[in-house]
Amino acid sequence: MATTTRTRERSIGSLIAEHGTGIILSLLFIAPIVWAILSTFKPRSEARLPPIPPWPTTGFSIDNYLTLDTFGAGLSHSAQNSIFVAVSSVVLTAIISLLAGYGFSRFRFPFKNLFFILILSTIMIPFQSILTPIFLILSWLGLQNTLTGLVLVYVTLQMPFSIFMMRNAFDAVPKEIEEAARIDGATNVALLTKVMLPLVWPGVVTVGLFAFLNTWNEFLAALVLMTDQSKFTLPIMMTAVQSGRFGAVDWGAVQAGVTIMMIPCLILFLLLQRFYIRGLTAGAVK
Amino acid sequence: MKRLTILAATATLLSMTALASAAETANIWVRADGSNFMPQIVEAFNKSHENQIKLDIIPNAEIVQKYATSAAGGTAPDGLSLDLIYTPAFAAAGQLEDITDWAKSLPYFKELSPAHVKTGTYKDKIYGLPFSADSSVLIWNKKLFKQAGLDPEKGPTNFAEIAADAEKVAALGGEIKGFYFSGACGGCNIFTFTPLIWASGGDILSADGSKATLDTPQMRDAIALYRGMVEKGLVPEGAKTDSGANFFAAFAGGNIGITPSGAFAIGALNTQYKDIDYGVTFLPGKDGGSSSFAGGDNFVVTKGTPKLAVLKEFLDYAYSLEGQTLLASRGSLPVRGDIAKEALKDLDPRYQIAAEAMAKGNTPYSVVFNDIINSANGPWAQMINEVFFGDDVDGALANAQETMQGIIDAGTGQ
Amino acid sequence: MSSISAKAGAMPAAPARRRSKIDRGHWVGLLYIAPAIVLVMVFFVIPLGMTAWMSLHNWPLMGQHRFIGLDNYVAITKDVRFWNALKFTGYYTVIVTIAIFAVAFPLALFVEKPRPMMGVYRTAFFMPVVVGFASASLLWAWLLNVDSGLFSPAAQELGLTEKRFNLIATFNPAFWSIIVMVVWKVAGFTMVILMTGLQSIPTELQEAAKIDGANAWQRFRSITFPLMRRTVALALILSVAGSILAFDQFYILLRGGPRNSTITAVYWIFNQSFVSFKLGYGAALSMVLLVILVVLSLIQLRLLRNPEGT
Repeated sequence: MATTTRTRERSIGSLIAEHGTGIILSLLFIAPIVWAILSTFKPRSEARLPPIPPWPTTGFSIDNYLTLDTFGAGLSHSAQNSIFVAVSSVVLTAIISLLAGYGFSRFRFPFKNLFFILILSTIMIPFQSILTPIFLILSWLGLQNTLTGLVLVYVTLQMPFSIFMMRNAFDAVPKEIEEAARIDGATNVALLTKVMLPLVWPGVVTVGLFAFLNTWNEFLAALVLMTDQSKFTLPIMMTAVQSGRFGAVDWGAVQAGVTIMMIPCLILFLLLQRFYIRGLTAGAVK
Repeated sequence: MKRLTILAATATLLSMTALASAAETANIWVRADGSNFMPQIVEAFNKSHENQIKLDIIPNAEIVQKYATSAAGGTAPDGLSLDLIYTPAFAAAGQLEDITDWAKSLPYFKELSPAHVKTGTYKDKIYGLPFSADSSVLIWNKKLFKQAGLDPEKGPTNFAEIAADAEKVAALGGEIKGFYFSGACGGCNIFTFTPLIWASGGDILSADGSKATLDTPQMRDAIALYRGMVEKGLVPEGAKTDSGANFFAAFAGGNIGITPSGAFAIGALNTQYKDIDYGVTFLPGKDGGSSSFAGGDNFVVTKGTPKLAVLKEFLDYAYSLEGQTLLASRGSLPVRGDIAKEALKDLDPRYQIAAEAMAKGNTPYSVVFNDIINSANGPWAQMINEVFFGDDVDGALANAQETMQGIIDAGTGQ
Repeated sequence: MSSISAKAGAMPAAPARRRSKIDRGHWVGLLYIAPAIVLVMVFFVIPLGMTAWMSLHNWPLMGQHRFIGLDNYVAITKDVRFWNALKFTGYYTVIVTIAIFAVAFPLALFVEKPRPMMGVYRTAFFMPVVVGFASASLLWAWLLNVDSGLFSPAAQELGLTEKRFNLIATFNPAFWSIIVMVVWKVAGFTMVILMTGLQSIPTELQEAAKIDGANAWQRFRSITFPLMRRTVALALILSVAGSILAFDQFYILLRGGPRNSTITAVYWIFNQSFVSFKLGYGAALSMVLLVILVVLSLIQLRLLRNPEGT
C-alpha cells in the first residue's frame, strides 16, 4: 500500500518535472520569435529603445510596417518578388520532379542509373562554389537580374531531394494499379494525372513544402544574382534595410520585415507538419 | 473647336518629333548618393537644351557590378557619374574613353578640384572630370558645448582640444557622450580619420598608390587620440561594431558632442533634424593645421560612345555658374574653385567651410582602393577596429601594412 | 508524341513485353526526365565545368580574361586570409556540431516518448528550423544590438554588467552568440532525425536491460547509442556539411567581424568573386572548397556504410 502511493506520488512528481521542463524549453525556443513579433507593434518612438518588455507600452501601432514600404522599391514590391519566386519554384519543382520521379520509377532507358546518380550527386556539391558561372550563364541567356533566372536556379537546387522523394513515392505504388488502368485503356498522361497523382500526392506536398521554405528563405544566390533593387527578394531587401539608410538603422522596420518573412513559413509548417517530418525521415531512413 | 485643338496637338506633336529627330539623347548613370542633385541638373539641362540626357539612378553598392555586366553585354550607358576613388580601377580595366584633350581645352581646367583630377588621371591620361563633391569636416553640437561650459561657437582646432572638449561634454553624463565614429567601417574612416593624419603631415599611401605607408608617427598620434577617448569612455559602446549604419544617425540623435562627418551632413541636418544646433570646422592635425578627404563623383565616358558631343554639352552646363549653383543648392559642393564662392553665396554659410576644406582636400590614389580600403572585410577596416579598440596596435599596423602591400602588388602585377 | 505514348500504353501483350518496354521506354522515359536533366545540366554540370575552366584564368568582371594556368592555385597557397577563413570554418564546424548534438540528443530523448503533450513540445522546438537563416540572423542581430537590442540592456538592468556590454565587439562573445543562435535555429532539426533513430530501437531491448538492472546511462551506452549509429552519422553529415558552408549568419549578423575574425570559407569566396570581382580567383577557391567537401562527404559516407569504420 505504502509503496503504491509512493510510486504514484513519484509519478506525479516526475510528471510535473517532465512537463515543467517541456514548457520551459518550449518557451525558450519560441521566445525570440514571439519577442520580435510583439515588438513590431510598438510606435516609432520606441523602436530604438531596448525591447523590455517586448509588447508596446505606449500604444499600439503598425507604423513599423508602413515605413517599410518607403525603403528602396518598397516592401510590398519585395514581398511580391518573394511570392513570385517561391510559388513559381514550388510549382515547377513539383511538376518536374513528378515527371522525373515517374520516369525513374517506371521506365527503363539507357543511362538511367547514370542520370539518377548524376542528379543525386549534385547534393554533394555545394552550389555556393558554382555561383560565378551560374551568374555568367544567366547573363548569356539574358536572364541575369530576372526573377525567372533565380527561379530556374532554385528549381535546379531542389532537384536531387525532390526527385529522390518522388521516385520513392512512385516505387511505393503497386505496379498492379497501373497495369489495371492500362488495360482500361488509359493513356500515359491520363495515367499519371488521374491514377498516379492522387496516390503520390503526399510526396508532392512534401516536395512543394520543402521547395517553398528553401526558396522563400534563400539568401546567398539571391544576394549575388539579383543586383537590381526592384528585383530584391525579402531577405536581401531586409539586409539592405538593416545596413542602414542615411547612416541610421530602423530596428522597428527590420523586425517588421522579419515578421513578414517568418509568418508564412510558420503557418505552412504548422499546417503541413507531418509532410515536413515525412520528408526528413525519408532522408533519414535511406 | 475640338478640331482646332486636335490640329494644334498634332502640330505640337509634329514639331516635337522634328525636334527629337534632330536632337540626340545620351544615357548616363549616377549612384544613389547622387539622387539629391542629379535629377535636378538633368532636368534643368533638358529644359534648356536640344540634346537630351536620360538618367538612371543605380544603388551605390551595385554600380560597379552593373556597369561591368552591361559593358560586357554592350548596353553600358554613354557616361556615368562615378565615385572618384573608382576612376583609376575603371580606367585600368580599359572601360573608359581617354578625354585628355577635351579636359585640357577647358578654360577653367586649372581651377577644377585637384583631388578629382588626380584620381581621374591614369598613366598620365585623363579619364574622369569632377562632377559632384563632398568633403569631410568636424561637426560639434553647440547645445551640448554650452551645457558643458565650453564656448559653443568655437570648435576644436587640434588633437588636444578635441580630447578635452569631448571629455567635458561626456562629463554631462547619462546618454551623452563626447565623441562618435563608426569603428567598424573602413569607408567612413578613410573619409574622416585619414585627414587627421594628413593634417599632421603623414599619409597612408605613396602618391602613386604603389606603397602602403601605414606605420608613421602621424598615424600613431591620430590613433592615440582615438584610443585615449575610447579608454576614457567618451565614445558610445555601439561605435565598436558600427559598420557605417550609424555614421550619421549617432550625432543627429543629439547626444554626441563632436563627430567627424561630411558636407552632406549640413544638408541632412538642416532638413531632417532642424532642432540640432551645430557648428562646422576643419578636421585638424595634431598641433593645428587642417585637411579633408575630397570625395564625390568623377564624370567618366564609356569607351567608344557615339554621344560624346552631348556629354560635353552636359558637362559644360554643369560647370557653368548656373549649373554649379544648382548643384550646390542640392548639397553637392562646387568643383570649380574660381566660382565656388559665388555659387555658394546664398546658402548656409557653413557650406563655405566645407568648400574650403574641399579645395585643400586630399584623396588616396589606388587602382585597388575598394579591396584595401572600402571593403567591409579589407585590411583597412580590420586595422582601424584593432587600433582603436584592440590591445595590439603594433601588430595590427604591421599586419595591415603587409596585407595591403600584398593586395597592391597583386593588383598592379596584372 | 501523345499518340506514340497512347499506343504504347495500349499494348499490354505479355510475350512481347520485354522488348517493347525497352523500345518505347527508350524514348518515353527519357522524355519524362528530360526537364530535370536539362536544368541540372545547364545550372549545375556546365557551371561546375566552367568553375574548373575559369579557375585557370585571370578573369576580371571588367575587361578581358586570359589563361594563366595554375597561377591562381599558386596564389591560394600564399593567401593567408583564405587559410584563416578555412581555419575558422573548421573551428566553427567542430564547436557548433558538438553544441547542436549536446542540445539535440537530450531533446530527442525527451520528446521521443509516446506521451501526451510531447507532440506540442516537439513542434515548439522545431519552429525555429522553418524560419530561414536570413530571418533568424536579422532577428538575432537586433537581439544582440548593444543599444536597441535585448541582451545587453537586459543584463545592465539586471545589474549583471555595470555598463552596456557590446556582445559582438570582440571575438569570443560574438562567436558564442552565433553558436547559441545556430543551436536555437537547428537543434530541432537534428532532434527529429535522432528521434527517428530512437524510435526504431525495439522497446523490448530497453525493457530487458532494465530488468537486468542496467541504469539509464548503461542502457544509453550499450543499447541506444550503438543501434543509432547510422542515424547519428547522418545527422552528423548534415550538420558538418551545413556548417562548412555557413555564410548567412556571419554576413548578416557580424559582417565577418569583429576584425574579420569570423570570415568563413564561403564568405571569403563571395568576397573575392563578388566584391573584388576576381572571378577566376574565386573559381579556384571554389575548387579547393569543393574538393575538401567531396573528400569529407566520401569519408562520412564510408563511415555511414560501415559503422565500425573499417
